[in-house]
Amino acid sequence: MWTVAPFIQKILLGGSLAVAFALSAGSTRAETMPAPSGEVILTVSGAIGTTNGDGVLTLDSDLFATLPQHSFTTGTIWTDGTATYTGVLLRDVLAAAGATGATVRLTALNDYQIEMPASGALGDGPLLANLSDGQPMPLRDKGPIWLIYPYDTVPGYRTEQTYARSIWQLNRIEVAD
Amino acid sequence: MGFAISLAFGAVLVLSWQLRGELRSLQEEPVDSLQWNVTQLELDVVRLEAAVSLAVVQPEASLTEVRKRFDLFFNRAGTVTQGTMFAKLGLLETVRPLKARMQDFLDRTAPLIDGPDSDLRLALPQIVDSVGALRQDMRFMSVQVIDTSAALQDTRRAGLADILQMIAIASVALIALLLALLVLVLGLNRQAVRRANDVQRITSRLEATVGTSLDGVVVAGMDGLVIDFNKAAERIFGYSRAEAIGQSLGTLIVPARHKSAHEAGMARMKATGVKHVVDAGRIRISAVRKSGEEFPVELSIASNEGPEGMIFIAYLRDISDAQQAEAALMAARDEAQAAEATKTNFIAVMSHEMRTPLNGVIAALEIIGRTTLDAKQTRFLGLARNSSKQLLRHVNDVLDISRIDAGFVAVTADRLDLPALLATLVDPLRPAASHKNTQVEVRLLSDFPPLLGDPFRMGQILQNFISNAIKFTDGGTITIEAEVQQITGDQAEVEFRVIDTGIGIDEADQARIFDDFVMVDPSYGRTGEGTGLGLAISRRLARAMEGEVGVESARGAGSCFWLRLPLTVAGEAANARVAPVAEAPPQTGLPAVLPAARALEVLVVEDNETNRIVLEEMLRHLGHRVTLAADGGEGVVLARAHRFDVILMDLSMPLMDGWTAATLIRTDGASAQSRIIAVTAHARPDRMDRFADSGIDSWLTKPLSSRDLATALMPEHAIRNPREVAPRLAGGAAPLLDTDRLEELTKIADPQALGRLLAQFRARMDHIMDSIDAGVSTEPMADLAAMCHEAAGAAGVIGAPQLHERLAVMEAACHASDRAGFLVEQADLRHIWRETWKALAERT
Repeated sequence: MWTVAPFIQKILLGGSLAVAFALSAGSTRAETMPAPSGEVILTVSGAIGTTNGDGVLTLDSDLFATLPQHSFTTGTIWTDGTATYTGVLLRDVLAAAGATGATVRLTALNDYQIEMPASGALGDGPLLANLSDGQPMPLRDKGPIWLIYPYDTVPGYRTEQTYARSIWQLNRIEVAD
Repeated sequence: MGFAISLAFGAVLVLSWQLRGELRSLQEEPVDSLQWNVTQLELDVVRLEAAVSLAVVQPEASLTEVRKRFDLFFNRAGTVTQGTMFAKLGLLETVRPLKARMQDFLDRTAPLIDGPDSDLRLALPQIVDSVGALRQDMRFMSVQVIDTSAALQDTRRAGLADILQMIAIASVALIALLLALLVLVLGLNRQAVRRANDVQRITSRLEATVGTSLDGVVVAGMDGLVIDFNKAAERIFGYSRAEAIGQSLGTLIVPARHKSAHEAGMARMKATGVKHVVDAGRIRISAVRKSGEEFPVELSIASNEGPEGMIFIAYLRDISDAQQAEAALMAARDEAQAAEATKTNFIAVMSHEMRTPLNGVIAALEIIGRTTLDAKQTRFLGLARNSSKQLLRHVNDVLDISRIDAGFVAVTADRLDLPALLATLVDPLRPAASHKNTQVEVRLLSDFPPLLGDPFRMGQILQNFISNAIKFTDGGTITIEAEVQQITGDQAEVEFRVIDTGIGIDEADQARIFDDFVMVDPSYGRTGEGTGLGLAISRRLARAMEGEVGVESARGAGSCFWLRLPLTVAGEAANARVAPVAEAPPQTGLPAVLPAARALEVLVVEDNETNRIVLEEMLRHLGHRVTLAADGGEGVVLARAHRFDVILMDLSMPLMDGWTAATLIRTDGASAQSRIIAVTAHARPDRMDRFADSGIDSWLTKPLSSRDLATALMPEHAIRNPREVAPRLAGGAAPLLDTDRLEELTKIADPQALGRLLAQFRARMDHIMDSIDAGVSTEPMADLAAMCHEAAGAAGVIGAPQLHERLAVMEAACHASDRAGFLVEQADLRHIWRETWKALAERT
């Protein structure tokens, strides 16, 4: 397993630089996010610089769609076959929110909650996917947002920890110091 | 071992691959936690049940929570039914009833949930029941799934443990094998180290051996380049080892003049493998030092197959010193031989000096004996006669020895009449034997074919034996036996035995009585009658005739002296040869005076007055008429004026010598056909050729006795030299070689003596030639004459008439002080000498 570590480390290092850039860019740009008009699918709170409500940033499908879109095709251990997942990378969401904390806490509708360092939001993953093969994901099938990694292309993501972080029915993100 | 190790290694490899697969499946393809998912599934069902139950008791409350819980359960069930988790865990079959049960519930409930609130609210109690039932079933079913999974996991762990265990076993085996291999390698390494040490030790021992060798050792390769060069070689050649190594042998130690031969030899060996010098044992060859000095070496070369082809090991020894020592030794030997020759010469000269006066004494005593003497005078005269005769005998004995030792024993091959010979030996001795009451008998034990031999030498030996026998036998018997022991072809072996019944000889003395100066019986010595040389001379003479002498005796039982001789059986054509007159056996027992058959006219040419008087007296006593001449010239005048029957010619005379006088007498005058007998004091009649050349018929050796004289003058000895005398100074080309003379020489001298004679002749001739050349214009004519005279004499002896003649002409020119004539004659002298020697070398 240690053989993988340098690879991950590299990703992590490259990622941290990207985050640093994104954070600085975000803090100057996205302070004026409009309020959502449709059903809120994601709420970002905590140590963030950009809000559009009561100290939180709430996003509906349309607002979510304005953020940088990213997609990849992969299979998962919970589904049959492969699908192309589209959404926004976690780092882009954090950047949009002007997050400054070191830890992010993600919570699902069923109150499943995970914590990861902000530096974990790196590279191609994790992706906050809201579309599967171009279709919005229903609540009965991991919607509205599934945090997903490109398991097939990056073997380093085929670990138990990554599977544990692959949270579905995500609707809240809290950034902590 | 190698196979076992590869087997173990293979096993470890295969197991490791398996293990890696297992680990990868553990690491890379983990599944979501089964327990978690099952628990979450139950939890979602429980929450749904709770939400539905709450909605039942609160009819006006929103149904959102119910619908959300249903959706969450729906989602959860989907992940369980759709995901690959169960397939990967191998639980697809186990989970099928659960999936079917959940699907059944979802299919029945979903239309209610998705329907309007009123319908859903009515169905809520029914949903509570079905959810409860589902919860119960799921509980039972999920426990079953977990149990099966646990069993599966156990199996998998056990498999993993097995692989690990096998790997451990294989690894241990591999390690054990590697350890064994290590031990083996260590052992081999130790062995290699030991071998390396051995090699090192042998190498250093060899180096020490080569290094300390007293002989130079040079090792070279097939290319002729030096590979090794030891200390001794450094010392011998002057090159250091570093200088020598890598150099070519050819440039290093082979002399320039042998270089091409050396290189040709190396090339030949390279091409054909044929070795001439290599492995050929010791050879002597020249080598060259660093200083350029060439020196002789003894060399032996061995070859060996080295790791880089053929190598050559040369052992060299500087033999300059050895050769010097050898040369010194040879010089010492030559010196010793020269000293020996000087001694022999001295004895010969002494004989001359002693015999001439002795001759006078004996002759004078004889003459006195013929005068009237009183009794006392007669007695003293007898004493004086005996003493002088004894003295003469001693001188003759010593002379015999020196003559034999000098190789100048001329052994003749005359027809022998053995009975007569024995009779003439024994008869004169009978009176002495009967004086001691001893009988002498002669026995011929076999028939004798006509034989050839030297009667004089045989007589000398047998007479010595018989005289001894008489001396040591009182009132006994002496038997003389002769016997042919065997005849092979024309060779007969004849044995003579002189057997006495006298006092005998101790065995201890028998071996040495034939040595020089040995007298066994002291009384014999005291009588002063012998020198102790008799038997020594006998043995020498016997050996000169290729025979042997010996004795068998015992003290008090008499002695048997024997003489064994190989003699040639005379063929029909074999001509009897007459022994030289003076060499006839001294027949002491014969009457002192033999009357001459007829009175002869005798001319005596003699410069010594004593001798002249003695000869005159003797001849007159024999009844001849005598005319005297005091030198050669006078003799020639007298001989030409009057015809003499016999001319007795002394050879060594001042003014004109006997040779010249004889030659002149032969050339002209009344006595040109007379017999000329030379009278010489020289012990060796070694110039017989000159007798022939100068017309001398025979010779007599001084001192003369009346008997010798009488014998010589007897008519049967009056054989004229058949050869016509060549005009001596007439010039004209004489033949290079005198074949008759050479034949004669080969007959009278054994091959060894002849060889010596020729070698001596050549050396002497070369020396004289050089002396003549060197002194041709500076030396006094008299000295040149002497040189020519000597050389001419030598040439005559050998039988080289042309050379002899030329030298004689040159001598004459010297005497005539004609230096110009001398030079003319001398011009091609060397050419003649060379031709002569060539002819001689071819002939002999």
